[in-house]
Amino acid sequence: MSVLARSVGNAFRNKVRSGAVVIILAVAIGLALSMLVANQAVADKITSLKASVGNNLTVNPAGSRGGQGGGEPLTAADLSTASTVAHVSSVTGTLSLRLSSNASTTATAPGGQGGGPAGRAASGTTSLVSAIDPGTLGNRANGSTSSSGGTGAGSTAVRPAFSIPIEATGIAGAVNAAGVPINITDGTALNDFAGTSAQALVGSTLATKNSLKVGSMFTVDDRTMTISGIFDAGTAFDNNAIYLPLTAAQTLASRPGEISTMTVLVDSIDNVDAAKTALASALGSTRVDVTAGSANLGSAISSLSSVQSISLIGFIAALGTAGLIVLLIMIMVVRERRREIGVLKAIGASNRSIGVQFVFEALVLVVMGSVVGAVIAAFSSNSIVGALVSSNTGTTTAAARSGRQALRAAGQTAGGFGAAAGPGGGRGAFAGASRLIGTVSTSLGWQTLVLGVLGILLIAALGALIPALLTAKVRPIEVLRGE
Amino acid sequence: MLEVKDVVKSFKTGDHTIKPVNGVSFSVEQGTFAAILGKSGSGKSTLLSLLGALDKATSGDVLVDGVNISQLPDSKLTAYRRDDIGFVFQQYNLIPNLSAKENVMLPMEFAGVSRAERSARAVELLSQVELAEETHDRKANKLSGGQQQRVSIARALANRPKLILADEPTGNLDDETGELIIELLRSLCQEKNTTILVVTHDQALARKTNRRFRLARGKITEITQG
Ligand SMILES: Nc1ncnc2c1ncn2[C@@H]1O[C@H](COP(=O)(O)OP(=O)(O)OP(=O)(O)O)[C@@H](O)[C@H]1O
Ligand SMILES: [Mg+2]
Repeated sequence: MSVLARSVGNAFRNKVRSGAVVIILAVAIGLALSMLVANQAVADKITSLKASVGNNLTVNPAGSRGGQGGGEPLTAADLSTASTVAHVSSVTGTLSLRLSSNASTTATAPGGQGGGPAGRAASGTTSLVSAIDPGTLGNRANGSTSSSGGTGAGSTAVRPAFSIPIEATGIAGAVNAAGVPINITDGTALNDFAGTSAQALVGSTLATKNSLKVGSMFTVDDRTMTISGIFDAGTAFDNNAIYLPLTAAQTLASRPGEISTMTVLVDSIDNVDAAKTALASALGSTRVDVTAGSANLGSAISSLSSVQSISLIGFIAALGTAGLIVLLIMIMVVRERRREIGVLKAIGASNRSIGVQFVFEALVLVVMGSVVGAVIAAFSSNSIVGALVSSNTGTTTAAARSGRQALRAAGQTAGGFGAAAGPGGGRGAFAGASRLIGTVSTSLGWQTLVLGVLGILLIAALGALIPALLTAKVRPIEVLRGE
Repeated sequence: MLEVKDVVKSFKTGDHTIKPVNGVSFSVEQGTFAAILGKSGSGKSTLLSLLGALDKATSGDVLVDGVNISQLPDSKLTAYRRDDIGFVFQQYNLIPNLSAKENVMLPMEFAGVSRAERSARAVELLSQVELAEETHDRKANKLSGGQQQRVSIARALANRPKLILADEPTGNLDDETGELIIELLRSLCQEKNTTILVVTHDQALARKTNRRFRLARGKITEITQG
């Protein structure tokens, strides 16, 4: 009979009590594991949200975005200032222009409500014909129908058909104003960035509308441009655009050195915040707006972060509870067996071997608790993640869950340390503001596993060590007394 | 050689102190079979627990082969209890959820004896105390009082101690089995030179011993006549 066999035997001595303890332990450990899984799932989501933004920061003149809004333009000097800021690894500038078709120049000087996005004056002309039909939206935004205002005895009445201007962006490399590489479907990227360059990239719908191929020519103002490539940006609006070399665009628009948007690449995601602050102060926070990703992203990340800390607290609390259960039950067991401990000592057992026996006994309970707990976690972690995320993003919509079950408690290890999960994940789709959060899938990574194992080891240590140390205090004479 | 020098053990109960052992001195040669007699509550078990290093004397010394066990550190005391002493408890004190055989194997496990050897010796000892084969694997708490007492004796002999302290080893046995245990202990004295101290009310047992002591009012005296 080895110490281990004796410990296992002792763990099952009072079957009703041990069963109850295992169930309570399982609930606590299951909750702890679920919280851990939730924590990891949310952490992964945060990382992927951050990664989806990348390391890019966008600098616009204060009050503007792209070619819209107001403020003073950026200059080449700002470009070099930005590149000296700490953590900035590269800076590219772009200039946004709006070109109106030669064919409809007479029609595109809008009056009235100049604030509308499509209502600004064009900064040049082109031989290209816009690929987008203005439709109801375009005409409404440009006041082509005289529905607004009661005063209108005037300007809006005799307006002919309006045409959507073509977006022209001056670029100095292979990325667009948002720092995303341009997806060229035909031909090659721009490679001549001189002021006299005649290269251009044309959006796919625009090319189709104007029957253009790689090598075809068109004009911007009085310069004849040659198409070096055709790109696809994914949307009809974005494809109704052209890219020009930056200096050529500046020359054509007679705005030398002017930049409408700077894209700053930061050396690492962790430094994005620091670089953002540094850029704003270097360039003057009243002059420029520095933005990272979408406006929703910050709130999405902060609400997820709160879920992350809640789940971490939950994990620690549940583990602590499990530890406390083990501790109390083992103290009870030691008290109950004082006399027996006395016997063992009287017949020559060392404090150590008795302590080890009690540690093993606690371990047996913890192992059984974790096995059952892992099963509980496998079934509950998904709904716990869903509940945590939805309650913290203020969505009342219940998580619409796909049928996939997230955590499969495959293969308990002999030590019973947590669960190894198969691939897969649950999904919860959330409405409204939390659309960005999208799906938080639960799956167990090795870090989670290691953390779970450490946590459970901590329980075992905590729960077993103190009672085991208590056994050392039992004197052999207890054998003659004891209840 | 066991020497007891002016040993005192006092207990505090409430506001007064009792001294069941109050200045006990005696010595016995190695290989002696000795009996301690005395009324119930006279301190016999208390004295035995001091000799077996289960408890510390309030004052006085216990010397075993010249070594003062009153002054040994705890680790040495553990080894002393394991290797040199065989204790038969008045209440048997078997581990209830272990079988008779496992109980006998326990002290040998603590002494680092190999599993096979433990098992073989346990079977041998259990048959020496005439415990039937089919009861060897029975849980201790399912054995009769007399069977438990015999398992307890077998356990005390397991590590071949040089001093056996037995608290009423025949208290629960019929005359015939009691006789057998007495013979077993006697033969250990003679053949293995084991010192044996028994606490007993059993006149048959007391008669078989080499020396007899009486404990009364905390003092010990040797009974010379008889
Ligand atoms: N831990 C203790 N605290 C207080 N008093 C004790 C303690 N242990 C023993 N005593 C007292 O010491 C006295 C001697 O007890 P002990 O058990 O040695 O008697 P005994 O001679 O073995 O009696 P019996 O023959 O009935 O077994 C008793 O009065 C008992 O109440
Ligand atoms: Mg007694």
